[in-house]
Amino acid sequence: MLVLENVGKTYKNGVKALHDINLNIEQSEFVYIIGNTGSGKSTLIKLIDGEEVPTKGNVKVVGINVGKLKHSKVPLYRRNIGVVFQDFRLLEHKTVFENVAFALEVINMKKLDIRRRVREVLELVDLADKANSFPHELSGGQQQRVAIARAIANRPKLLIADEPTGNLDPMTSKTIIDLLEKINQEEKTTILMVTHDVALVDSNRHRTIVLQNGYIVADAQDGGYFRDQSIM
Amino acid sequence: MIRALCRHFREAFQGIFRHFAMSLSSASAVTFALILVSGMMLIIGNISQITMDLQESVNIFVRIDQDVEEDRVAILQMAIEHIEGVNTVTYSDKDEELNKLIEEFGEDGKMFEIYRGENNPLSRAFVVEIKQNYKISDVSAQISKIPGVSEAVFGGTNTEMFIEMLTVIRTGGVVVVLVLAVLAMFLISNTIKITIAARQKEISIMRHVGATNSYIRMPFVLEGIFIGLMGSVIPILITIMGYDYFYYTMGGKLITGLLSLQPTIPFVFYVSGVLAAMGVFVGFVGSIISVNKKLRWKR
Ligand SMILES: Nc1ncnc2c1ncn2[C@@H]1O[C@H](COP(=O)(O)OP(=O)(O)O)[C@@H](O)[C@H]1O
Ligand SMILES: [Mg+2]
Repeated sequence: MLVLENVGKTYKNGVKALHDINLNIEQSEFVYIIGNTGSGKSTLIKLIDGEEVPTKGNVKVVGINVGKLKHSKVPLYRRNIGVVFQDFRLLEHKTVFENVAFALEVINMKKLDIRRRVREVLELVDLADKANSFPHELSGGQQQRVAIARAIANRPKLLIADEPTGNLDPMTSKTIIDLLEKINQEEKTTILMVTHDVALVDSNRHRTIVLQNGYIVADAQDGGYFRDQSIM
Repeated sequence: MIRALCRHFREAFQGIFRHFAMSLSSASAVTFALILVSGMMLIIGNISQITMDLQESVNIFVRIDQDVEEDRVAILQMAIEHIEGVNTVTYSDKDEELNKLIEEFGEDGKMFEIYRGENNPLSRAFVVEIKQNYKISDVSAQISKIPGVSEAVFGGTNTEMFIEMLTVIRTGGVVVVLVLAVLAMFLISNTIKITIAARQKEISIMRHVGATNSYIRMPFVLEGIFIGLMGSVIPILITIMGYDYFYYTMGGKLITGLLSLQPTIPFVFYVSGVLAAMGVFVGFVGSIISVNKKLRWKR
């Protein structure tokens, strides 16, 4: 469902962020992307969600060549993917319910369908009882679960998470990973998670791709052993 | 579609009230511009009528030399007709001139009948009507140079100056209104810029979840249009009530009572329609400027 062919990305300032990336991810896979700061992880994600255009090669997601999309078609393409960030990015003046509903309102879903779907996803992320709370009334882990609920509300085929546990303590990080695994299993959502968290990659093992200076230096189906190779 | 529209309206209103002081100052710039526009339209709407009346009265009266032979008159007429800016030339012989004189004096005019015939001391004359946008004094000066013309006179410099003054007022007014409109657009575009800045986070989330570009832009454009419309409310009220009051105190006539004013209805409605449209236009352009600058999505 996600294919990268000879993808290279050079930014306008001349920085070569990615070199000759070849990658194939199947529907409902769970994949970690790890690597040092500046190794090109976020760039990879920006190529996938259509924010940046590759300077070389093709990025294909659900059969769509993302780099070749017309500007006006990018929003419709994005309805196929959900994105979660390190800093949650919730709207402070909206309740939990409204934050999730917002993502569906702005793509013109019917009010009744929105209400049903928001209840459903809040149930899934185990925040049904916080529906009327505001973000500042929640813990970091809870806020990230709201962000995840918002990202999957439109039933995306692919969920991208850029260091979703970067701001959370290990205990809370574990609950976020457990949640992503649950979404991966229950909704068959493909999950692509960028992380720095070696302990997590070790404890919840999944296919792990290692980026270094813009190259893929390892791609292990069973994951988890990179710590020993001291790549991180 | 309707659902989205409702949301856009709601967001637009929220934008206006969140930055109410800004919105209000932008709207008042529109208000000032439109009050001027309204005043000008009311004057021009009436004055185009007045200048037409005046223009008719500013024919040039050309007296023919006594010693010009009768068969030379047609040639003289052709010479005048060839002058740049001349519209029509009507010949009026001694008899007709006498008729005019008698008519002008009314009952007492009868006494001039004794001059009819050989003793008629009046000159033969041409009445020259000039085309629009030509200066009467220029045309008149050229006519008076033609041999056989004893003099060329027109309704006096006063009428000419009056017409010229109206033209100056009109162009000056247009310039002032344009300057104010640009200022209003600038203020509106600034207000919208601030609304956009305040919503940066929402906009970025909307982009990530796949809201279309037009969907993201719409509330801001609507906000600009509303501000423009808000600015046109007071000018419209002033136009309708003010002109109505003016019309009735003047009894529908102007100055000498010769020039009639445009009736209140439908005139004020036309003017109000134009004012509302201009408010919308200024708001639309103002917001589009900011939306294009701040919400253009590139990658
Ligand atoms: N918008 C940009 N313009 C120019 N250079 C960029 C931009 N974004 C990232 N880079 C550069 O590209 C390289 C990879 O960055 P990034 O993909 O953010 O790495 P990571 O997420 O792994 O830390 C870095 O050297 C970074 O400075
Ligand atoms: Mg990064």
